[in-house]
Amino acid sequence: MRLDDDLDSQDRDFLQRIAQPLRRPVPLSDRVERKVLARLRTGAGPMPGPSRGRLWTGAVAAGIAAVFALGVLVGRRTAPPGTAARAPHTVEFVLRTSADSGVAVVGDFNDWDPRATPLHADRDGVWTVTVPLRPGRYRYTFIVDGSWRRDPAAPRALEDDFGRPTSVITIAQR
Amino acid sequence: MAAAPSLTQVSPSDAELVARARQADLDAYALLMTRYRLRFGRYAFHLLGNESDAEEALQDAFTLAYRSLGRCRHPERFAAWLFRILVNRCRTMGSRRGRREARRAPLELANGIGVPHPAEQDMHREEIHRGLARLVPEQREAFLLKYVEELSYEEMAELTGAGESALKMRVKRACERLRELLSESYAT
Repeated sequence: MRLDDDLDSQDRDFLQRIAQPLRRPVPLSDRVERKVLARLRTGAGPMPGPSRGRLWTGAVAAGIAAVFALGVLVGRRTAPPGTAARAPHTVEFVLRTSADSGVAVVGDFNDWDPRATPLHADRDGVWTVTVPLRPGRYRYTFIVDGSWRRDPAAPRALEDDFGRPTSVITIAQR
Repeated sequence: MAAAPSLTQVSPSDAELVARARQADLDAYALLMTRYRLRFGRYAFHLLGNESDAEEALQDAFTLAYRSLGRCRHPERFAAWLFRILVNRCRTMGSRRGRREARRAPLELANGIGVPHPAEQDMHREEIHRGLARLVPEQREAFLLKYVEELSYEEMAELTGAGESALKMRVKRACERLRELLSESYAT
Protein backbone atom coordinates (compact mmCIF):
# COMPACT_ATOMS: atom_id res chain seq x y z
CA MET A 1 0.00 0.00 0.00
CA ARG A 2 1.38 3.36 -0.97
CA LEU A 3 1.18 5.85 1.83
CA ASP A 4 0.17 8.71 -0.39
CA ASP A 5 -2.88 10.10 1.31
CA ASP A 6 -3.43 12.63 4.06
CA LEU A 7 -4.38 10.14 6.73
CA ASP A 8 -2.33 9.54 9.81
CA SER A 9 -1.02 6.09 10.65
CA GLN A 10 -3.92 5.33 13.00
CA ASP A 11 -6.43 6.11 10.28
CA ARG A 12 -4.56 3.95 7.79
CA ASP A 13 -4.41 1.05 10.20
CA PHE A 14 -8.11 1.41 10.86
CA LEU A 15 -8.98 1.44 7.16
CA GLN A 16 -6.64 -1.46 6.44
CA ARG A 17 -8.39 -3.55 9.11
CA ILE A 18 -11.72 -2.79 7.52
CA ALA A 19 -10.50 -3.38 3.99
CA GLN A 20 -8.71 -6.65 4.57
CA PRO A 21 -11.76 -8.92 4.81
CA LEU A 22 -13.28 -7.14 1.83
CA ARG A 23 -10.41 -8.11 -0.46
CA ARG A 24 -11.44 -11.73 -0.67
CA PRO A 25 -13.03 -12.57 -4.02
CA VAL A 26 -16.79 -12.48 -3.98
CA PRO A 27 -18.05 -15.69 -5.58
CA LEU A 28 -20.68 -14.34 -7.91
CA SER A 29 -22.24 -17.11 -9.93
CA ASP A 30 -21.25 -17.94 -13.50
CA ARG A 31 -24.86 -17.23 -14.40
CA VAL A 32 -23.50 -13.73 -15.04
CA GLU A 33 -21.75 -15.00 -18.16
CA ARG A 34 -24.71 -17.12 -19.19
CA LYS A 35 -27.10 -14.21 -18.96
CA VAL A 36 -24.75 -11.89 -20.84
CA LEU A 37 -24.28 -14.42 -23.63
CA ALA A 38 -28.05 -14.82 -23.88
CA ARG A 39 -28.39 -11.04 -24.12
CA LEU A 40 -25.75 -10.81 -26.80
CA ARG A 41 -27.39 -13.54 -28.84
CA THR A 42 -30.82 -11.95 -28.63
CA GLY A 43 -29.93 -8.26 -28.75
CA ALA A 44 -31.31 -7.63 -25.25
CA GLY A 45 -29.74 -5.54 -22.52
CA PRO A 46 -28.22 -2.06 -22.48
CA MET A 47 -26.86 -0.54 -25.65
CA PRO A 48 -23.89 1.84 -25.77
CA GLY A 49 -24.00 5.22 -27.40
CA PRO A 50 -27.23 5.88 -29.23
CA SER A 51 -29.81 3.85 -27.43
CA ARG A 52 -33.07 2.46 -28.59
CA GLY A 53 -34.83 5.08 -26.52
CA ARG A 54 -37.44 7.34 -27.93
CA LEU A 55 -36.04 10.33 -29.74
CA TRP A 56 -36.44 13.63 -27.97
CA THR A 57 -36.59 16.86 -29.90
CA GLY A 58 -38.80 19.39 -28.21
CA ALA A 59 -36.95 20.44 -25.09
CA VAL A 60 -33.84 21.98 -26.59
CA ALA A 61 -35.25 25.50 -26.93
CA ALA A 62 -36.81 25.41 -23.48
CA GLY A 63 -33.55 24.13 -22.09
CA ILE A 64 -31.54 26.90 -23.66
CA ALA A 65 -33.95 29.49 -22.28
CA ALA A 66 -33.59 28.00 -18.81
CA VAL A 67 -29.85 28.04 -19.13
CA PHE A 68 -29.72 31.72 -19.92
CA ALA A 69 -31.81 32.33 -16.83
CA LEU A 70 -29.30 30.40 -14.74
CA GLY A 71 -26.28 32.05 -16.25
CA VAL A 72 -25.11 28.80 -17.78
CA LEU A 73 -25.17 28.40 -21.51
CA VAL A 74 -25.61 25.17 -23.31
CA GLY A 75 -25.96 25.28 -27.04
CA ARG A 76 -26.09 22.65 -29.69
CA ARG A 77 -25.26 23.21 -33.31
CA THR A 78 -26.20 20.73 -35.91
CA ALA A 79 -24.63 20.07 -39.24
CA PRO A 80 -26.17 21.53 -42.38
CA PRO A 81 -29.22 19.71 -43.66
CA GLY A 82 -29.00 17.42 -46.58
CA THR A 83 -26.65 14.89 -45.06
CA ALA A 84 -27.64 11.32 -44.41
CA ALA A 85 -30.14 10.83 -41.61
CA ARG A 86 -27.71 8.79 -39.53
CA ALA A 87 -24.69 11.00 -40.15
CA PRO A 88 -23.12 12.54 -37.06
CA HIS A 89 -24.43 15.86 -35.89
CA THR A 90 -22.00 18.39 -34.54
CA VAL A 91 -23.01 19.01 -30.96
CA GLU A 92 -21.47 21.78 -28.93
CA PHE A 93 -21.51 21.46 -25.17
CA VAL A 94 -21.15 24.82 -23.49
CA LEU A 95 -20.90 25.58 -19.79
CA ARG A 96 -20.28 28.93 -18.15
CA THR A 97 -18.53 28.26 -14.88
CA SER A 98 -15.44 29.06 -12.88
CA ALA A 99 -13.15 26.06 -12.71
CA ASP A 100 -9.63 25.69 -11.39
CA SER A 101 -8.56 22.35 -12.76
CA GLY A 102 -10.74 22.00 -15.79
CA VAL A 103 -14.05 20.92 -17.19
CA ALA A 104 -14.85 17.75 -19.11
CA VAL A 105 -17.95 16.08 -20.41
CA VAL A 106 -18.47 12.37 -19.93
CA GLY A 107 -21.27 10.25 -21.27
CA ASP A 108 -22.46 7.28 -23.24
CA PHE A 109 -20.63 8.65 -26.27
CA ASN A 110 -17.15 8.48 -24.73
CA ASP A 111 -17.48 5.53 -22.35
CA TRP A 112 -17.63 7.97 -19.43
CA ASP A 113 -13.92 8.59 -19.76
CA PRO A 114 -13.11 11.80 -17.86
CA ARG A 115 -10.03 12.42 -19.99
CA ALA A 116 -11.61 11.83 -23.38
CA THR A 117 -13.50 15.09 -23.92
CA PRO A 118 -12.11 18.13 -22.09
CA LEU A 119 -13.75 21.51 -22.59
CA HIS A 120 -11.76 24.61 -23.41
CA ALA A 121 -12.37 27.99 -21.79
CA ASP A 122 -12.47 31.42 -23.31
CA ARG A 123 -11.58 34.55 -21.37
CA ASP A 124 -15.15 34.94 -20.13
CA GLY A 125 -15.21 31.59 -18.42
CA VAL A 126 -17.29 29.87 -21.08
CA TRP A 127 -16.16 26.28 -21.57
CA THR A 128 -16.95 24.56 -24.84
CA VAL A 129 -16.29 21.40 -26.75
CA THR A 130 -17.69 20.07 -29.99
CA VAL A 131 -18.56 16.41 -30.28
CA PRO A 132 -19.88 14.52 -33.31
CA LEU A 133 -22.93 12.47 -32.28
CA ARG A 134 -25.10 10.24 -34.35
CA PRO A 135 -28.86 10.38 -33.84
CA GLY A 136 -29.84 8.70 -30.62
CA ARG A 137 -30.23 9.20 -26.91
CA TYR A 138 -27.24 9.81 -24.66
CA ARG A 139 -26.76 10.25 -20.92
CA TYR A 140 -23.97 12.63 -19.97
CA THR A 141 -22.71 14.99 -17.31
CA PHE A 142 -20.09 17.67 -16.88
CA ILE A 143 -17.14 17.23 -14.55
CA VAL A 144 -16.07 20.54 -13.02
CA ASP A 145 -12.95 20.37 -10.87
CA GLY A 146 -13.62 16.71 -10.34
CA SER A 147 -17.26 17.02 -9.33
CA TRP A 148 -20.15 15.88 -11.46
CA ARG A 149 -22.50 18.64 -12.53
CA ARG A 150 -25.70 17.98 -14.38
CA ASP A 151 -26.45 20.11 -17.41
CA PRO A 152 -29.23 22.40 -16.19
CA ALA A 153 -30.34 23.00 -19.75
CA ALA A 154 -31.14 19.41 -20.52
CA PRO A 155 -33.60 16.86 -19.18
CA ARG A 156 -32.48 15.07 -16.08
CA ALA A 157 -31.76 11.37 -16.46
CA LEU A 158 -33.93 9.02 -14.47
CA GLU A 159 -31.00 7.40 -12.72
CA ASP A 160 -29.40 10.49 -11.28
CA ASP A 161 -30.24 10.39 -7.60
CA PHE A 162 -27.06 8.62 -6.58
CA GLY A 163 -25.36 11.95 -6.10
CA ARG A 164 -24.13 11.63 -9.68
CA PRO A 165 -26.29 14.06 -11.60
CA THR A 166 -26.69 13.18 -15.23
CA SER A 167 -28.58 14.67 -18.12
CA VAL A 168 -30.01 13.35 -21.33
CA ILE A 169 -29.61 14.63 -24.84
CA THR A 170 -31.44 13.16 -27.78
CA ILE A 171 -30.31 13.84 -31.30
CA ALA A 172 -33.13 13.48 -33.79
CA GLN A 173 -32.66 12.03 -37.22
CA ARG A 174 -32.89 14.57 -39.98
CA MET B 1 -3.64 0.22 -12.51
CA ALA B 2 -4.42 -2.34 -9.90
CA ALA B 3 -7.66 -3.23 -11.63
CA ALA B 4 -5.64 -4.53 -14.55
CA PRO B 5 -3.67 -7.58 -13.55
CA SER B 6 -0.39 -8.38 -15.19
CA LEU B 7 -1.13 -9.83 -18.57
CA THR B 8 2.21 -11.31 -19.38
CA GLN B 9 1.43 -14.63 -17.71
CA VAL B 10 -2.04 -15.05 -19.10
CA SER B 11 -2.73 -16.97 -22.26
CA PRO B 12 -4.55 -16.20 -24.39
CA SER B 13 -3.98 -12.57 -23.60
CA ASP B 14 -6.77 -10.09 -23.17
CA ALA B 15 -5.75 -8.44 -26.43
CA GLU B 16 -6.06 -11.75 -28.28
CA LEU B 17 -9.47 -12.43 -26.78
CA VAL B 18 -10.66 -8.91 -27.56
CA ALA B 19 -9.57 -9.35 -31.17
CA ARG B 20 -11.52 -12.59 -31.41
CA ALA B 21 -14.54 -11.10 -29.67
CA ARG B 22 -14.56 -8.26 -32.18
CA GLN B 23 -15.08 -10.95 -34.80
CA ALA B 24 -18.22 -12.03 -32.92
CA ASP B 25 -16.46 -14.92 -31.18
CA LEU B 26 -18.63 -15.21 -28.08
CA ASP B 27 -16.56 -18.05 -26.69
CA ALA B 28 -13.61 -15.68 -26.52
CA TYR B 29 -15.71 -13.08 -24.80
CA ALA B 30 -16.99 -15.66 -22.34
CA LEU B 31 -13.36 -16.33 -21.38
CA LEU B 32 -12.85 -12.64 -20.73
CA MET B 33 -15.95 -12.50 -18.57
CA THR B 34 -14.89 -15.50 -16.55
CA ARG B 35 -11.47 -13.95 -16.11
CA TYR B 36 -12.88 -10.80 -14.53
CA ARG B 37 -16.17 -11.86 -12.95
CA LEU B 38 -14.82 -12.57 -9.49
CA ARG B 39 -12.35 -9.73 -9.36
CA PHE B 40 -14.73 -7.05 -10.51
CA GLY B 41 -17.73 -8.66 -8.88
CA ARG B 42 -16.05 -7.92 -5.58
CA TYR B 43 -16.12 -4.19 -6.25
CA ALA B 44 -19.73 -4.24 -7.44
CA PHE B 45 -20.84 -6.30 -4.45
CA HIS B 46 -19.18 -4.08 -1.87
CA LEU B 47 -20.33 -0.87 -3.52
CA LEU B 48 -23.92 -1.95 -4.04
CA GLY B 49 -24.21 -4.14 -0.97
CA ASN B 50 -26.08 -7.09 -2.38
CA GLU B 51 -25.53 -9.96 -4.74
CA SER B 52 -28.47 -9.28 -7.00
CA ASP B 53 -27.47 -5.71 -7.84
CA ALA B 54 -23.82 -6.69 -8.17
CA GLU B 55 -24.68 -9.36 -10.71
CA GLU B 56 -26.90 -7.00 -12.64
CA ALA B 57 -24.22 -4.31 -12.71
CA LEU B 58 -21.69 -6.84 -13.89
CA GLN B 59 -24.02 -8.16 -16.58
CA ASP B 60 -24.69 -4.65 -17.82
CA ALA B 61 -21.00 -3.77 -17.82
CA PHE B 62 -20.08 -6.93 -19.73
CA THR B 63 -22.90 -6.32 -22.21
CA LEU B 64 -21.99 -2.68 -22.79
CA ALA B 65 -18.32 -3.52 -23.08
CA TYR B 66 -18.94 -6.17 -25.72
CA ARG B 67 -21.08 -3.79 -27.74
CA SER B 68 -18.41 -1.09 -27.40
CA LEU B 69 -15.36 -3.21 -28.19
CA GLY B 70 -14.76 -1.12 -31.28
CA ARG B 71 -14.03 1.81 -28.97
CA CYS B 72 -11.55 -0.11 -26.82
CA ARG B 73 -8.45 1.66 -28.09
CA HIS B 74 -5.97 -0.38 -26.07
CA PRO B 75 -7.14 -4.01 -26.00
CA GLU B 76 -4.14 -4.95 -23.88
CA ARG B 77 -5.69 -2.74 -21.20
CA PHE B 78 -9.12 -4.28 -21.55
CA ALA B 79 -9.41 -4.84 -17.81
CA ALA B 80 -8.93 -1.18 -16.92
CA TRP B 81 -11.38 -0.17 -19.65
CA LEU B 82 -13.95 -2.68 -18.48
CA PHE B 83 -13.51 -1.60 -14.88
CA ARG B 84 -14.33 1.99 -15.78
CA ILE B 85 -17.53 0.85 -17.44
CA LEU B 86 -18.38 -1.14 -14.34
CA VAL B 87 -17.68 1.77 -11.98
CA ASN B 88 -20.08 3.93 -13.96
CA ARG B 89 -22.68 1.21 -14.11
CA CYS B 90 -22.45 0.79 -10.36
CA ARG B 91 -23.18 4.48 -9.96
CA THR B 92 -26.36 4.04 -11.94
CA MET B 93 -27.27 0.91 -10.03
CA GLY B 94 -26.59 2.74 -6.82
CA SER B 95 -29.48 5.05 -7.49
CA ARG B 96 -31.88 2.12 -7.54
CA ARG B 97 -30.28 0.79 -4.38
CA GLY B 98 -30.82 4.14 -2.74
CA ARG B 99 -34.50 3.94 -3.55
CA ARG B 100 -34.81 0.41 -2.25
CA GLU B 101 -32.67 0.36 0.83
CA ALA B 102 -35.27 2.05 2.96
CA ARG B 103 -37.49 -0.95 2.32
CA ARG B 104 -35.12 -3.77 3.15
CA ALA B 105 -32.03 -4.79 5.00
CA PRO B 106 -28.86 -3.27 3.56
CA LEU B 107 -27.33 -6.61 2.77
CA GLU B 108 -28.60 -9.68 1.03
CA LEU B 109 -26.07 -12.37 1.56
CA ALA B 110 -27.36 -15.18 -0.57
CA ASN B 111 -25.37 -18.29 -1.30
CA GLY B 112 -23.01 -17.68 1.55
CA ILE B 113 -21.63 -14.46 0.12
CA GLY B 114 -20.59 -12.23 2.92
CA VAL B 115 -20.68 -14.95 5.54
CA PRO B 116 -17.38 -14.62 7.34
CA HIS B 117 -14.79 -17.23 6.59
CA PRO B 118 -14.04 -19.26 9.72
CA ALA B 119 -10.64 -17.63 9.91
CA GLU B 120 -12.29 -14.25 9.85
CA GLN B 121 -15.03 -14.84 12.39
CA ASP B 122 -13.74 -11.99 14.45
CA MET B 123 -13.64 -9.54 11.59
CA HIS B 124 -17.33 -8.70 11.68
CA ARG B 125 -17.54 -8.43 7.94
CA GLU B 126 -21.25 -7.93 8.10
CA GLU B 127 -20.79 -5.03 10.46
CA ILE B 128 -18.34 -3.52 8.01
CA HIS B 129 -20.86 -3.87 5.22
CA ARG B 130 -23.49 -2.10 7.24
CA GLY B 131 -21.07 0.70 7.89
CA LEU B 132 -20.22 0.93 4.21
CA ALA B 133 -23.88 1.02 3.28
CA ARG B 134 -24.32 4.15 5.38
CA LEU B 135 -21.52 6.09 3.74
CA VAL B 136 -22.48 8.56 1.07
CA PRO B 137 -21.83 6.95 -2.32
CA GLU B 138 -18.82 9.07 -3.20
CA GLN B 139 -17.09 8.18 0.06
CA ARG B 140 -17.89 4.49 -0.27
CA GLU B 141 -16.58 4.50 -3.83
CA ALA B 142 -13.37 6.29 -2.84
CA PHE B 143 -12.72 3.98 0.11
CA LEU B 144 -13.27 0.84 -1.97
CA LEU B 145 -11.11 2.02 -4.85
CA LYS B 146 -8.29 3.08 -2.54
CA TYR B 147 -8.24 0.43 0.15
CA VAL B 148 -9.90 -2.63 -1.35
CA GLU B 149 -8.98 -2.30 -5.02
CA GLU B 150 -5.71 -0.65 -3.93
CA LEU B 151 -5.57 1.93 -6.68
CA SER B 152 -3.36 4.98 -6.43
CA TYR B 153 -5.00 8.37 -6.24
CA GLU B 154 -3.74 9.08 -9.73
CA GLU B 155 -5.47 5.95 -11.01
CA MET B 156 -8.62 6.85 -9.10
CA ALA B 157 -8.60 10.33 -10.61
CA GLU B 158 -8.29 8.89 -14.09
CA LEU B 159 -11.12 6.49 -13.40
CA THR B 160 -13.58 8.84 -11.73
CA GLY B 161 -12.74 12.26 -13.12
CA ALA B 162 -12.42 13.63 -9.59
CA GLY B 163 -9.30 15.51 -8.55
CA GLU B 164 -6.79 13.79 -6.32
CA SER B 165 -7.33 16.24 -3.47
CA ALA B 166 -11.08 15.67 -3.62
CA LEU B 167 -10.54 11.92 -3.57
CA LYS B 168 -8.26 12.16 -0.56
CA MET B 169 -10.88 14.19 1.22
CA ARG B 170 -13.53 11.58 0.41
CA VAL B 171 -11.35 8.83 1.87
CA LYS B 172 -10.71 10.92 4.96
CA ARG B 173 -14.41 11.59 5.40
CA ALA B 174 -15.13 7.89 4.89
CA CYS B 175 -12.63 7.10 7.60
CA GLU B 176 -14.22 9.54 10.02
CA ARG B 177 -17.69 8.25 9.29
CA LEU B 178 -16.70 4.61 9.62
CA ARG B 179 -15.11 5.36 12.98
CA GLU B 180 -18.46 6.73 14.09
CA LEU B 181 -20.44 3.82 12.70
CA LEU B 182 -18.41 0.81 13.65
CA SER B 183 -18.04 -0.71 17.03
CA GLU B 184 -15.36 0.01 19.57
CA SER B 185 -13.40 -3.00 18.41
CA TYR B 186 -12.85 -1.36 15.06
CA ALA B 187 -12.64 2.23 16.08
CA THR B 188 -9.54 1.82 18.18
